[in-house]
Amino acid sequence: MNNVEKYTQVFVESFQVTNEEAVGLSYQSIGEWDSVGHMQLVAALEEAFDIMMDTEDIIDLSSFEKGQEILQKYDVEFR
Amino acid sequence: MEVNKIAIRTWSMLGQRGTFGTVLASLAENRPEVVALSADLCQTSGLGRFASLYPDRFFNTGIAEQNMIGVAAGLAESGFVPFATTFANFAALRSCEMMRHFLGYMQSNVKVVGLSAGYGMEFFGNTHYGIEDLAALRAIPGLVILSPADGVETYKCVEAAISINSPVYLRLTGVMNNPLVYKEDYEFSVGKAVELKSGDDVAIIATGSMVEKSLKAAQLLADRGVECTVLNMHTIAPLDINKVTDCFSKKLIVSVEEHSCVGGLGGAIAEFMSSQKNAPKLLRLGVPQGYMKAGSYNYMLEQAGLTAPQIADVIEKEYKESKG
Repeated sequence: MNNVEKYTQVFVESFQVTNEEAVGLSYQSIGEWDSVGHMQLVAALEEAFDIMMDTEDIIDLSSFEKGQEILQKYDVEFR
Repeated sequence: MEVNKIAIRTWSMLGQRGTFGTVLASLAENRPEVVALSADLCQTSGLGRFASLYPDRFFNTGIAEQNMIGVAAGLAESGFVPFATTFANFAALRSCEMMRHFLGYMQSNVKVVGLSAGYGMEFFGNTHYGIEDLAALRAIPGLVILSPADGVETYKCVEAAISINSPVYLRLTGVMNNPLVYKEDYEFSVGKAVELKSGDDVAIIATGSMVEKSLKAAQLLADRGVECTVLNMHTIAPLDINKVTDCFSKKLIVSVEEHSCVGGLGGAIAEFMSSQKNAPKLLRLGVPQGYMKAGSYNYMLEQAGLTAPQIADVIEKEYKESKG
């Protein structure tokens, strides 16, 4: 599983959405991505990529796409 | 509900207050009798998800804490398991008489949740600090008082509170990014303290947010040649007197709590020890009497002398004096 698949899988499992629905998701666009769901997403991303995110990045993670941008700071490549 | 790495990390980030709301929403799925009440603090109580999942089981009583306790007692008498939530000082002090009548006298199966006890309200200041709640509520007969050490134990306490048919006061301390004490699942039992570290010289009996600080203090003391046992006294009432008695072999017992030095965990231990033979000296660490200028959480702990290095320094000094 490459990083794009792994990243998408975290969204799929955290929010019970399909791969297609995961792309384009943003904070509070669905009920599951509330403030609690946000912390669960962060914990799941940290576990999947073995990283520890800074507080400002946790706050900044506002969408599926923004998350990919942020994770690149932690040397997670999506190419 | 599974206690795994992701859940533990999530609960740590959410803090005890956020964890409470999250686990209550999850546990309530299979317990239709569980309802939640808030005195106008829905999101702040961490109950946003509960309210959206179960709108017919969530009641906002408005800024009327005393009434909330009465409504909760009525729901309990009708077979529900109500969790009534507000800041710890409002629950314990403003609603004290209602808690005495309904949870003490009538033994209604109400779970009162004291949010942000201690200095968790930070810049809201002394009017919102919950540093006398244990002193007020410990005197109410039959009231089980739980004080979890971290997110995992908050989950354990909520689960236990639902299960036991008894009035409960759940005291939540700390802020977001709550440090971990438990990194995996463990066995929790109401009224049974947990020994987290073993040492021959000093017994530190801590509760709530102070458990993690005490573990750090014990490590600092070990580096200085003082070996400490650390007990997590997650249940303040009924107190685990057997575990306290086990500590009588140490030269010094120390209680540590994010609560006034008067009437809390240290007071409970002192009351028990005063009637026991061969009890060693008891040092009670907590919030000193008086009201300090408000500030951030860590600033307030430092002003109260409740950081790990401060705890270690005081214990080391007292231990050396005890040894003569």
